[in-house]
Amino acid sequence: MSININRPCGTFDRNYFQAKEIYRTPLRKILLALLIIGMYLLPFLAGDYGISILTLICAFIIGMLGLQIITGYCGQISIGHAAFMGVGMYTVGILQRHFGLNFWICLPLAGLVPMFIGMMFGVPALRMKGLYLAFATLAAHFVIVYVISNWRSVTNGTDGMWMKRPDAFFGIDFKSDRNYYLLVLTITIIMTYLATNLARSKLGRSFVAVRDNDIAAEVMGINIAYTKIMAFGIGCFFAGISGALGGAYYEYVNIEWFGLDDSIWYLGFLVVGGFGSIFGAIAGATVWKIMDEFSTLVTPLAEIFLGGAAFYASAAFSLVIYSLIIIVFLVLEPRGIAHRWEMVKRSYRLHPFPY
Amino acid sequence: MEETIKSIVLGLCSGGIYALLAVSYVVIYKSTRVFPFSQAAVLIIGAYIMWYCLIAWHLPIWLGFIITCAGGAILGMFIERAFMRPLVGQPILAPIVVTLCLMLFLRGIGILMGKGDIQGFGESFLPVGAWKVGFLHLPKIQVYGFILCAVLIAALMLFYEKTRTGLGMRVVHEDHVVAQNLGINVKRIFQYSWIISCIIAVVAGMLLGNIQGVGLALDANGLITIAAVLFGGLESFAGAIIAGLAIGILQMLTITYIAPLLPGETTMMIPFVFLLLILFIKPYGLFGLVRIERL
Amino acid sequence: MTEITGDITKKREQRYSYGLMLLRECIEKKRPLTNPNVKERKVLLRAENISIAFGKLQALNNVMVEVKEGEILAIIGPNGAGKTCLLNVISGFYRAQQGDVYMEEKKITHLSSHKIAELGLCRTFQNIALYTGLSVTDNIIAGRHPHIGYNFVTGMIYFPWANKEEAFQRAIAEDIIDFLELEHVRGSVVGMLAYGLRKRVELGRALALEPRILLLDEPMAGMNLDEKEDMARFIIDINEFLKIPIVLIEHDMGVVMDIADRIVVLDFGNKIAEGVPEEIKGNPKVIAAYLGAG
Repeated sequence: MSININRPCGTFDRNYFQAKEIYRTPLRKILLALLIIGMYLLPFLAGDYGISILTLICAFIIGMLGLQIITGYCGQISIGHAAFMGVGMYTVGILQRHFGLNFWICLPLAGLVPMFIGMMFGVPALRMKGLYLAFATLAAHFVIVYVISNWRSVTNGTDGMWMKRPDAFFGIDFKSDRNYYLLVLTITIIMTYLATNLARSKLGRSFVAVRDNDIAAEVMGINIAYTKIMAFGIGCFFAGISGALGGAYYEYVNIEWFGLDDSIWYLGFLVVGGFGSIFGAIAGATVWKIMDEFSTLVTPLAEIFLGGAAFYASAAFSLVIYSLIIIVFLVLEPRGIAHRWEMVKRSYRLHPFPY
Repeated sequence: MEETIKSIVLGLCSGGIYALLAVSYVVIYKSTRVFPFSQAAVLIIGAYIMWYCLIAWHLPIWLGFIITCAGGAILGMFIERAFMRPLVGQPILAPIVVTLCLMLFLRGIGILMGKGDIQGFGESFLPVGAWKVGFLHLPKIQVYGFILCAVLIAALMLFYEKTRTGLGMRVVHEDHVVAQNLGINVKRIFQYSWIISCIIAVVAGMLLGNIQGVGLALDANGLITIAAVLFGGLESFAGAIIAGLAIGILQMLTITYIAPLLPGETTMMIPFVFLLLILFIKPYGLFGLVRIERL
Repeated sequence: MTEITGDITKKREQRYSYGLMLLRECIEKKRPLTNPNVKERKVLLRAENISIAFGKLQALNNVMVEVKEGEILAIIGPNGAGKTCLLNVISGFYRAQQGDVYMEEKKITHLSSHKIAELGLCRTFQNIALYTGLSVTDNIIAGRHPHIGYNFVTGMIYFPWANKEEAFQRAIAEDIIDFLELEHVRGSVVGMLAYGLRKRVELGRALALEPRILLLDEPMAGMNLDEKEDMARFIIDINEFLKIPIVLIEHDMGVVMDIADRIVVLDFGNKIAEGVPEEIKGNPKVIAAYLGAG
């Protein structure tokens, strides 16, 4: 088993540029292009309901990519990711409400503000790892949520506030859900591209080095402090952008959208998707949002079986089902959907032969 | 001054329950090296079982107590066998995610059990009323609760020090592989740890439900206790007890002095600020072990 | 140079291995590669009076070690003598409680590990410490970390110059892979490799850092004779071709006596002998340390 099995059969590298290409064969390039074109055409086929799901999936993919960078690549556990998403959402909301800024100016700021807050809460990561860091991010979650829900003069407390969608851009009006979806999709593709490149460039390699063996990384010339802080910074940048896009879709911001549950779901569905791969993040976010829709669909059923008020049945249903899915994945396939997918591709490549 | 002493004494009383909870975290962490976030939600389950026994089924208190403890034991056994055992040997992230998800899972079960409402025990199963000692006003519920906690902790310590299983647990704490090689059934020790911890958490849930009312908000206590466990050092019973009491006092002082100044749920936030401070200043807690890393 | 090592040097006038040409060019751009003869060798690394204790255990006690240009220095001693601890102190992983480390007359005791590595003090580990999730090539490129110029924004957008730089780093990695004969596993994930191969990857990663001094912690532990010979060949080749001084911790006396120019013997944290292999062989203190006194 000495050859690299992840490479399609019959492709050879003729120079070092080819050796590090993401998609080596023309077929895969075409498939990727078709997928992207398909994603752009999808809203013209799907109804309003489909568009709303797709928009949310895209927004959450960005957030999940951020967590993938922090946890999947750099190995720093973060139980406060939803809170950072909330910071991004509120940044846009506050800037629009108090200063009347344009969405296009708010969007980068919605990334940068969580980035700095994330770096701040990433500082404990310099002294501790694993479980202790999980505590620190848990504490960060509570502190952030406390500040947002109680600093009433700025954030309007638990009542939430209105948000505006971006203004028209080259004559494209984002008031309609379909056009807004196309905007979110474009940003998602850009962010995915950035994350993919990050993973295969210098900083991405040092993330993985810190994850796999931080002591060795330090001795081999990688500045761990810088690397970990950067992981938190970039991850929270992604989370902030995701939050801003999600909030602008609803045109409303509310503190209840990023509870502790959401932070845990983030982490859990990252496991379901698969650690340490961009595809894993995308798969995780997709499964999560599809499950979300599924749970709202099934709620009437739960009502019939359990009786009583719908709100508690739906809440309990999503809690129980999600956590069971995540646990079952961790027990049966700890490397997630991404690994399964690799296995499928591998068997397809080697098709006539069993190994 | 009077206020301060009052809050410290009251804090000590409620700190007893935090100490008990902290011990339930430490029992599992010490032997399995897994931090059981799920214990925060086991509280809810315990409180609801007791509520069903007393209110729905009209059982006597002693029987309710026994049934609840048995329920806790079964729950612990089930969690360990079904969810935690397949994860032995996986990287640290897996048990963290699983225990966090278990917390939400049990929370969901709690919602189903309680139909989403906050229930009361009707009348408390511990004596109500209060003693007046000087200017102090000691509610009997708190004091009896504290005594119950102290008795339970003492029993656990005796179990840990005197019995064979306790010895096994102490050995497993040192090193899993060595313990396995010495002929100790490490898996069984893990199971015992979960069972003991869940029983403790269930009892704490009962006591808290008695004071605060049975509802989903109970798991906030469990989350606050995480700060206590960390303050004491994750691997030390003495640390957990002291830190549990300290968190109780801190909470009461917060209610007296800080809560009027700040809006919102300060009692939930201050312990976590405290936790962040500990992490910055002394990450391995008061009595925690600092392991020397080797190359 | 001693007779034994002299023999080997004579045999090795012609290089047996391929590779390392590109890496050599890279190093040559930064400093001239000359191997002065024995008398003119300057001291590159000096560890002075290092003492460190863990609790009551005195791991190192006033140890003084010098590494000269172009030499192979072996550190030997029974288990628990403090050899690895000494390397840890030099590479900045442990802080010495007393004493200082100087590299080319620059004090490096207070520097953090990654700064020391950037200065050119690279090491391998006793218990293999590779980045298990990365492939062999990526491990070696990860070792190039301090020498990669572009910043993270460039990396994320992947500008053409970042692309070019990455390709260049890959070329160097392939160069090292050629040298260490790892071609057949270059794409495999390191976690799946056999022990001997992993040791080689680790050596490759250290080489990728363009070391000024290479510290090898038991590079031949747990290997069979063939693998040991390979490893010895690599070590000598690095020393001869790249003119890098090598500090070697090793338990196999045969290898040590054959390839080392000088030997330092540690026992219970004390330096008990230092000298060329012949002197060490006959030194009664060393014999007592290994075989027990009396």
